Amino acid sequence: MKVLVAVKRVVDYNVRIRVKSDGSGVDTDNVVMSMNPFDENGLEEALRMKQAGVATEIVAVTVGTEQSQDTLRSALAMGADRAILINAEEAPEPLGIAKLLSKVVEQEQPQVVILGKQAIDDDSNQTGQMLAALLNWPQGTFASKAEFEGDSVNLTRETDAGLETIKINLPAIITTDLRLNEPRLPKLPDIMKAKKKPIDMVEAASFGVDLTPRLEVVSVSAPEARKPGVIVANAAELIDKLKNEAGVL
Amino acid sequence: MNILQQLNDIFTPERVLTDEDSLQNYGKDWTQVYTPDPLAIVFPTSTEEVQALVKMANEEGVALVPSGGRTGLCGGAVAMNKEIVVSFDRMNKILDFNSIDRSVVCQPGVITQQLQNFAEENNLFYPVDFGSSGSSQLGGNISTNAGGIKVVRYGLTRNWVLGLKVVTGAGEVLDLNHGLVKNATGYDFRHLFIGAEGTLGFITEATMRLTNIPKNLTVFVLGVTDIPALMQVFETFQNTIELSAFEFFSEDTLSLMVNDKGYARPFDTEAPYYALIEFEVDHESKEESALQAFEACAEEGWVVDGVMSQSLQQAKDLWRLREDISETISAYTPYKNDLSVNISKVPEYLDKVEQAVNQNYSEFKVLWYGHIGDGNLHLNILKPDSMEVSEFFEQCSKVNPDIFEVTKKMNGSVSAEHGIGIIKKNYLKYSRSKEEVELMASVKKIFDPKGIINPGKIF
Repeated sequence: MKVLVAVKRVVDYNVRIRVKSDGSGVDTDNVVMSMNPFDENGLEEALRMKQAGVATEIVAVTVGTEQSQDTLRSALAMGADRAILINAEEAPEPLGIAKLLSKVVEQEQPQVVILGKQAIDDDSNQTGQMLAALLNWPQGTFASKAEFEGDSVNLTRETDAGLETIKINLPAIITTDLRLNEPRLPKLPDIMKAKKKPIDMVEAASFGVDLTPRLEVVSVSAPEARKPGVIVANAAELIDKLKNEAGVL
Repeated sequence: MNILQQLNDIFTPERVLTDEDSLQNYGKDWTQVYTPDPLAIVFPTSTEEVQALVKMANEEGVALVPSGGRTGLCGGAVAMNKEIVVSFDRMNKILDFNSIDRSVVCQPGVITQQLQNFAEENNLFYPVDFGSSGSSQLGGNISTNAGGIKVVRYGLTRNWVLGLKVVTGAGEVLDLNHGLVKNATGYDFRHLFIGAEGTLGFITEATMRLTNIPKNLTVFVLGVTDIPALMQVFETFQNTIELSAFEFFSEDTLSLMVNDKGYARPFDTEAPYYALIEFEVDHESKEESALQAFEACAEEGWVVDGVMSQSLQQAKDLWRLREDISETISAYTPYKNDLSVNISKVPEYLDKVEQAVNQNYSEFKVLWYGHIGDGNLHLNILKPDSMEVSEFFEQCSKVNPDIFEVTKKMNGSVSAEHGIGIIKKNYLKYSRSKEEVELMASVKKIFDPKGIINPGKIF
């Protein structure tokens, strides 16, 4: 079966996020960018499916600028067979991305689409679900375990109430939790080979879908800094402060 | 007036500890060999208090031992003769920062990581880094001229000290170099205090220099066939790209990390040695160059496999394979040697040391790792389960003369970055001449005429 894996180029998890001084967004100039960690889990799962003989071809897809080629090269180095870059200068919203992906699904006819449950830049947690709705496919979100069995997959989901196991029929959408697997590091020879693997570049506009933004960002601000603690001299002072300053007693 | 009373007068009573737990805790470092027996632990909060203490100690003839994060590995901060341990835990503030000078004035108890974080918050970088940076303190770093994992590019702690305020053993307060970059006005006493292992006086303030944050640090871990190949790999990479680290560890070390810590192997292929290489990728061409260097090494047969980090997290995870070694093997009561020779002599040296160890102690497990880009090798001999600690250390110390004789012949150092402390005192002669050691003693006498500051350390 063919597996489509969606990946996104985001500000690296370990970078200290800085908000632009004009409040228009997050500063991404000269900032290290990496593959969204949840998407790494998605790709790793596809690679394991291929090793287990379940998957036959893995296609990585991203929506972004030309710089997103870096992320696709990482995906190819990890072991994806080929990659598609949907070139969009203005980053579409989750609905726009879901629409674009649905067109790729029509063309590629995968049996499974794996996406990270969310991207760590906007934390929307919407694209997978919207894609499932647009395609009218079953979806298994927040997967921490996936076992393929004929035309279906048994998925363990991480929910607030604990673990839920569901069985869904293929074709299906899966979104990943970090516990799904431990993504591999690409080997250097594979990184070099990946430079020769094909990346298809397609303009987002050529899909003929409506990408008009429906959200307006009013302002972006950094969370309020945590106030430093104070050392009190004794229990009486502590109680006094709790009563009169903090108002919790 | 007795000494404890005087301590209570200089400090407030809650900053003088004499309970057995505190004495045991603050009286030792990571060496774990010596039994601490200090008189008291004190926690100064100012230069004035330190000065008052030193004056009192001179009058009473009581010895003082400086104490920082106590992560030392040579017993430099061990107090076992009724000394007063001077802990800088309470002098842990960053006092001043100047973005034009790129300088930070720190109290000696500032933790290395605290300075690193402070630098990062101000868009700058403090580049001295090592496994214990979460607990080691600046005063200790300076007193041992700490090195660590970025020496290839950034040098030792010494390079980053712009100024020091010290209280000498005689009780004078000296303000050394005032944070100047250039100052050609005679002897620079600042450099005497750096690496003095706290034997000349107490550092009570340090002005540290910061630099630009490196961009997109990328890590390779390579499987390497043998030590000569490792040096070839080093030369190839060094000629291609500016490295910020070049570390190595043996397969035995890696398999211990995998078994004990559950860390994932970087790749399945086993190799006798692994190189961890770090460099900045601020432009695509850098990655290209590094990949070419890898290809060249692979074609020569020096390298059997390798991985490259694709994110800062992966880079961090790869670093843990090297940085967490010291902590992991501490469970085996290792006998640690910290040796260095000229980089070009590493293969010959390693060969000879291995021979010396194997001939005498074939039953001991020996782990090699270290900063090979600095010619610095950490040789760790692990204690067999069945052997008593004292017996083990006695056995190990018997092999030392053999190792150090080889070191001396090759003009190497018996302590590359850990210091001499107590543990290496008898071996100082293998790296320093009689005349040098005598001069050291004379210098100490000038700064500490009554010999009250960290006595019995280094020589």
